[in-house]
Amino acid sequence: MDTRARIISAFCDSLREHGRPPETVFAFCKQLEITEREFFQEFASFDAVESSYWEQLVDQVVCAVEAGPEWPEFTAKQRLLSFLYAFCEASLDHRSVMLARIAELGPLEKPAFLKGFESRFKAFAKSVLDHGAALGEVAPRGRLSAIYPDALYTHFRGVIDFSLKDDSRGYERTDAFIEKSVAVAFDLIRTQVVDSALDLARFLAPWREGS
Amino acid sequence: MKGGAQEVAKEGVKQDAQQGVGEQDSIETTRFSRVAAMAGTGMRVGVNYLKHYGKRAIGAASGADELQEANASAVYETFSRLKGGPLKLAQMLSIDRNLLPPAYANQFAKAQYSAPPLSYPLVVRTFRREFNREPLQIFDSFSKHAAHGASIGQVHRASKDGAEYAVKVQYPGVADSLRTDIRVLKPIALSVLGLKEHDVADYLREIETRLLEETDYSLELLRSQELSSKSAHLKHVRFVKYYPEWSTSRILSMDWVDGVTLDKYADGNASQLERDQVGQALWDFYEHQVHTLRVFHADPHPGNFLVKDGELWVLDFGCTKELDEVFYRKQFRFLDPTLADNPSRLEAALVSLDILLPEDDPEKKARIVAVCERSIRLLGLPFWGDSFDFGDPNFMRAIYEMGEANAREQQSRDLSGRRGSADSVYVHRAYFGLYSLLSRLRARVRVCLPGWVRGVE
Repeated sequence: MDTRARIISAFCDSLREHGRPPETVFAFCKQLEITEREFFQEFASFDAVESSYWEQLVDQVVCAVEAGPEWPEFTAKQRLLSFLYAFCEASLDHRSVMLARIAELGPLEKPAFLKGFESRFKAFAKSVLDHGAALGEVAPRGRLSAIYPDALYTHFRGVIDFSLKDDSRGYERTDAFIEKSVAVAFDLIRTQVVDSALDLARFLAPWREGS
Repeated sequence: MKGGAQEVAKEGVKQDAQQGVGEQDSIETTRFSRVAAMAGTGMRVGVNYLKHYGKRAIGAASGADELQEANASAVYETFSRLKGGPLKLAQMLSIDRNLLPPAYANQFAKAQYSAPPLSYPLVVRTFRREFNREPLQIFDSFSKHAAHGASIGQVHRASKDGAEYAVKVQYPGVADSLRTDIRVLKPIALSVLGLKEHDVADYLREIETRLLEETDYSLELLRSQELSSKSAHLKHVRFVKYYPEWSTSRILSMDWVDGVTLDKYADGNASQLERDQVGQALWDFYEHQVHTLRVFHADPHPGNFLVKDGELWVLDFGCTKELDEVFYRKQFRFLDPTLADNPSRLEAALVSLDILLPEDDPEKKARIVAVCERSIRLLGLPFWGDSFDFGDPNFMRAIYEMGEANAREQQSRDLSGRRGSADSVYVHRAYFGLYSLLSRLRARVRVCLPGWVRGVE
């Protein structure tokens, strides 16, 4: 294991054990038997360490699902579902960290340590949506399409939130939640429902010309 | 580990059955009309269920009154859209109540929903959770779309080393949603049927227990192996092989059979000879289960039977019911052909099943006995000769008309109360399904009444 991986792993252990990051870089390095120089060559701060921990989590799951034999023939909806199921499965190894760091947050809160996590997920979501647009699964909507990755990220956080509160056997309720909520999401983005609603809103808007 | 769980589950079944008997003293349930049908061969005439399965038989024969036909198709539509908990509950209650269909169907239509099929990624997810492997790591091929739905899951077609398999995958969290469905539907059902919860509590509990059992596929695997090995000698009855190594409580793997479902077969153009053979197989299968094994396949839905080359394939052992000796004797003494002619014995038989209650006044008692007698004479008919022709449209029509008449009588008189046995629910369901299927098949079957029934007391 190289220094970078060791730092991330020791940092996680600390999160698991104490539910928060270590007190100081100095104490952390001492325990890990590395120098501060070695630490700072890899990371600028604990936030940076944690950020890459979360990034890795997304990257690993994306790699795993994209390597699946059936991936090329999956629709966008199937790709998103595969990711979410695989993420839930993988997250079992990280559940205590998630409970410590994410459980208390609302799905809309964006702490610094999740920035990379968010951008990795959105990059993945964008690739899924592009695939869906190519297949006609996602209606093209010009600038409005830009908010889709944000919406899917909020949904993703909602799924994590749901799974952390789920106490059913084998987290079956989370599976059902993913299945049903993704079905709704894709029903919405496949049709023009959102467009029509926005069009109506624009028409009725009080700031319209003259007022 | 798994074996242990199955043992425990099975033990639970036995206890339930025994408990049912224990509670017979203080039983239970239901309206007058129910009693009528129940008294006969132990089957119940559910008007709308009859229409559902029997509409062809009746319609073909009588040139059917159009209103009836319209009702029947409305009910049929409703049933075919139902899935999961609501489907099961609606089926059960409709068999067990002589309801007027439209009100019933409309009310259930409001509460129903139809779950969309499972996505393939969720099937993969379920495989990973149950086996730690993906479908294609177990099978050579695996269909991404369900070949057909099951009431609480869906069936995929798979192959391995040249052999074909049917793999049933359960909806996640279905046990939970069944509980919810029952909670949601119960008040609706009660208000539609004009019942008091207190009167049907045991009844609903029995149904709920069976429904929840169906969500454990490992139990189904065990029962199917047991029932099929004990019924292996029956002629023209075939059972699919199950594969425990690819089965868990949520996934069930068995051989793929290329047959046609019994309803499609019945509506097709098979020869009378073959119809009789298939019908006989079905009849023998139920007689053997009920009178010899004392445990039976309680879900005689046409989709649970396939016909291939004139042989009957039995599928889906999710719902089975055990009969304990005491209840068995009480219930099936109604098959005695001389019972209806002997008022004192008939009365004793009705008292033993709590259909007649000690507090009934003479007038009420006379009415109940009269209706029961009428029912027995009609519903027992198939059992009393050497053979019976279910192709006779007048028979099903007579049952249907009696059900309607009883339902009307029920409405005009207050004869409700706690009558009958919760254990009878699935006996009624099985025999009602059996009659309907045989009528649809237009089969003639040879009949042999168990010896003890004639000699009883």
